[in-house]
Amino acid sequence: MKNSRTKILFVYLLIGGQYFQLMAQQNDKVWFDGFSRSFFARDAINDKILPDSVSARNASDGYNLLDLNTHVNPSKNLEIFSQIRIKNQFGSFFGSGTSIDVRQLRAKGVINNKIRFSLGDIFLKQTRFTLFNYDEDLSGYENNMFKPYRDILHYENFYRENRWRMQGLQTDFSFKFDRYIRTLEFDAFITRPRGSSPLSFNTSSSDLLLSGGTMVSQLNKSLTVESHYINFFEIPSSGTTNISIRNPVYHIGIRKYYTNKKSIFESKIETGFSERYWLHSERENNAADSISNFTQGMFLEFKNDFMRKDSSLEVTFGYRYVDPNFRSAGAQTRRLNFEASNSPTIYPYYSNAQIIRPISVFDLLSDENLYNQDLHGNLMIFNPIYSNVLPYGDATPNRHGFYLKSRFKQKVINGKLNTGAFQEVIGQGTAEKRNFTLLKAVVKLNMHELFKLKKEASIFLASENEYTRRTTDAISSVNLYSHQLTAFGNLELVDKLFIQFSFKQLYAKGNEFLNQRADYGVINNFILTNYNLNDHIISGGILYNINKNVYANVQYNWWGKTFNDSSNSNFNYNRLLFILSVKL
Amino acid sequence: MMFKKTILILFIVAGCFYTCTKDEFEGPSIEALYGEFKILDSLKLTNSNPNFSLEENVGFYCKFNKDVNWKITIRGNTSNSIKELSGFSNTIDSTTITWTGNTSEMPFFLKEKCEIELTFDNEKDTLVDSLTIAGTKIYDGILVADFENGTPENSIVFKQSSMNMTFETASDNPLVGDNYFKMGGRMGWNEWLLGQIDIPLNLSDVSSTPENFYLNLGILSGVNGELASDQYINILISESNSPFNGDLTNNGADVFKDTMEVYKYQIRPVDWIGWQYIAVSYDEFEVKSAGGDNIRNPKNIKAIRIQCQSCPSASGNCPSNASIDVRTDIDYVIFTENEKLLDQE
Repeated sequence: MKNSRTKILFVYLLIGGQYFQLMAQQNDKVWFDGFSRSFFARDAINDKILPDSVSARNASDGYNLLDLNTHVNPSKNLEIFSQIRIKNQFGSFFGSGTSIDVRQLRAKGVINNKIRFSLGDIFLKQTRFTLFNYDEDLSGYENNMFKPYRDILHYENFYRENRWRMQGLQTDFSFKFDRYIRTLEFDAFITRPRGSSPLSFNTSSSDLLLSGGTMVSQLNKSLTVESHYINFFEIPSSGTTNISIRNPVYHIGIRKYYTNKKSIFESKIETGFSERYWLHSERENNAADSISNFTQGMFLEFKNDFMRKDSSLEVTFGYRYVDPNFRSAGAQTRRLNFEASNSPTIYPYYSNAQIIRPISVFDLLSDENLYNQDLHGNLMIFNPIYSNVLPYGDATPNRHGFYLKSRFKQKVINGKLNTGAFQEVIGQGTAEKRNFTLLKAVVKLNMHELFKLKKEASIFLASENEYTRRTTDAISSVNLYSHQLTAFGNLELVDKLFIQFSFKQLYAKGNEFLNQRADYGVINNFILTNYNLNDHIISGGILYNINKNVYANVQYNWWGKTFNDSSNSNFNYNRLLFILSVKL
Repeated sequence: MMFKKTILILFIVAGCFYTCTKDEFEGPSIEALYGEFKILDSLKLTNSNPNFSLEENVGFYCKFNKDVNWKITIRGNTSNSIKELSGFSNTIDSTTITWTGNTSEMPFFLKEKCEIELTFDNEKDTLVDSLTIAGTKIYDGILVADFENGTPENSIVFKQSSMNMTFETASDNPLVGDNYFKMGGRMGWNEWLLGQIDIPLNLSDVSSTPENFYLNLGILSGVNGELASDQYINILISESNSPFNGDLTNNGADVFKDTMEVYKYQIRPVDWIGWQYIAVSYDEFEVKSAGGDNIRNPKNIKAIRIQCQSCPSASGNCPSNASIDVRTDIDYVIFTENEKLLDQE
């Protein structure tokens, strides 16, 4: 009891502290920083269309949390880092809903002023084809209204700069030369994305490891060569299963720069290949090891970047080919997990029939539990209405085509454009190939610059279109169009206090054949699925940026989904949200 | 100039890789999954007048546009015997889908005309053809009794002296050939055994293990569509080296005495109407009397006893049997090695 009260007191002291601007305590050896968040959400059914007298009319939930980062520097070249999370669920009493967890633990340092290392929780990224944590679906053209939601998703799932969070050892070092080549940099890591775990009473899975290395060399002022290697593999002896995956990927790239007074032009060609197979070891009667489901695939990209030195314009165009059998667990694992077992957290069942509620755009935005932190050896399921052109990012297998991206920035207006025309390399279920068209554009108009206002006022418009077509006989033809429209208005009423409004709608219509894959990733069925739906979020709220590290946000969301020509029932919900976010 | 060069390289690279696109496809055919079922090549037989006694066979060929569950049914016009072949594919391959003249349902096929029907799950299409059997299949096995010439030599038949006892050969409803052995009747007192037939055997040439040694026999039951309660067949197999019937004072062979090495299997209940053909592997027999080493060895089998038993009405347990005859007739009793008789291709 005494222990519990001490714990509660400790928690309250820490949580109460977030309302003050915590000064990082520093001395020579120990210093602190961290992050604090207060979150409250009240969800309610808006069942004008579909009666639902079974589900709760409304539900509220919230918490306070503090992630306290402790940095200990026992010597000049060594730092021990730990992140302790203290979380108190609203409605808990006398510490029953309070948890204290170690969220991150890492040691990093420099050996002999030459070799840098990190041990523990590390965040890794290589290239877009070897190890890369691609942004989730429908997130590329987000506006500030949903930034608090998106911040939580990324923070809770350790998504940082397209890196995967791993646990292991990473090291890097570099050399500088005065002749022949300028620099030579090395980076290597070995991590364990998954440890051995019990599958049943007397069976357990194997350890899953990810190792890799990078070598980058600047040959001269304008030419750089890089090469990467990564291997995703299991160690059968660490578990009871004698079948283990092997997925090495090899990559090489050459980058050439040209510059003049105003612009930089960069060309890059990168290529590589992957192998994937399952090793059968420790076989009966001392039989030799064998492999199964061996596949090999390559990729190639020729990319050109033009950029004004003042960052007012950037244009990228190129061609990419990714073989149908190219498999890279580090680059093709998706953030969003659409497994059937992964149902939405808010109102997972709906209507009087209590059927499982389909995932909506609002869930993608607000439900951190739909997201994945583990690398997968097989291609994960995706939903074509959210992303059908490049569901696995640039490493999406079975695609080749041209793309053009552009970004411009002026005082009054800035925007982005992303277009592409892709085609399958091999047909699926028919020799005819799908053709994909991508057109995404966003414009932000700074009204305060246009009308010389003192307070910020801006309008944001985004349109994201994906079009998939396979023109063949009536049975196997595909024709799917999805369009996401986003409008956002932002008006600064008084200093740092903004009133905001947003409208987001996803419209999808057409048909597509969803792939079903067997254990080793081989397609064994196609499910014909028809779409005709509207997904919407309407939001209004107030944002108060207390300073660059602290903001408070109150918003109200009206969201739902409408199915046309379908037996699915429509649904509509409301949410009141409050967030106070403090970066210590 | 530099920009033009870049564009040129871009298109050359794209052109090269465009040729890498493939004309085949991955995954199952969507046409096969969702398309309308079509027969591309009609049913063809490789032999419409097969002589199965010369080990000829009949191959079947047909081609469809998608994978389907198909079934070929061959029905003998005279014997009413049936053979079924089935599979899931888009082609019936005449090199692998063949018929050697065997049957799925007794009786055996005769020299007769057969109707052939090819049907598909969830499709209304049916293809028909016919053939004429020029010679019937010869099965491998050690025949115990076909009752064509009465009961086997030196066999001993015993029956109780009660009502309607039928322990004799008959020709009114044989399973195979012209005759079969009737075992039935009605017990007037509290006794389970109605009667039996003991047959001496010499299987010294057999080399099979008990798991691969099968007893096959046809059993007919039901009189006028009625069944006696708890009627069954008791099969005893003796591996005793004693003389088969040295003592003529008792009602059966001596090798089944309680002191002998005897194994037992019951087909219980016999509760069907008409013929059924049963196969039992020797390892399924249990030890009845521990008169030997208790290790089943087919080559040591010296005799078989097939008994007709039923729950007696006089015991009060099965009063309905007071007004109904028991019937467990048998035909074509044969031992086979490695596979059951009806599994022989």
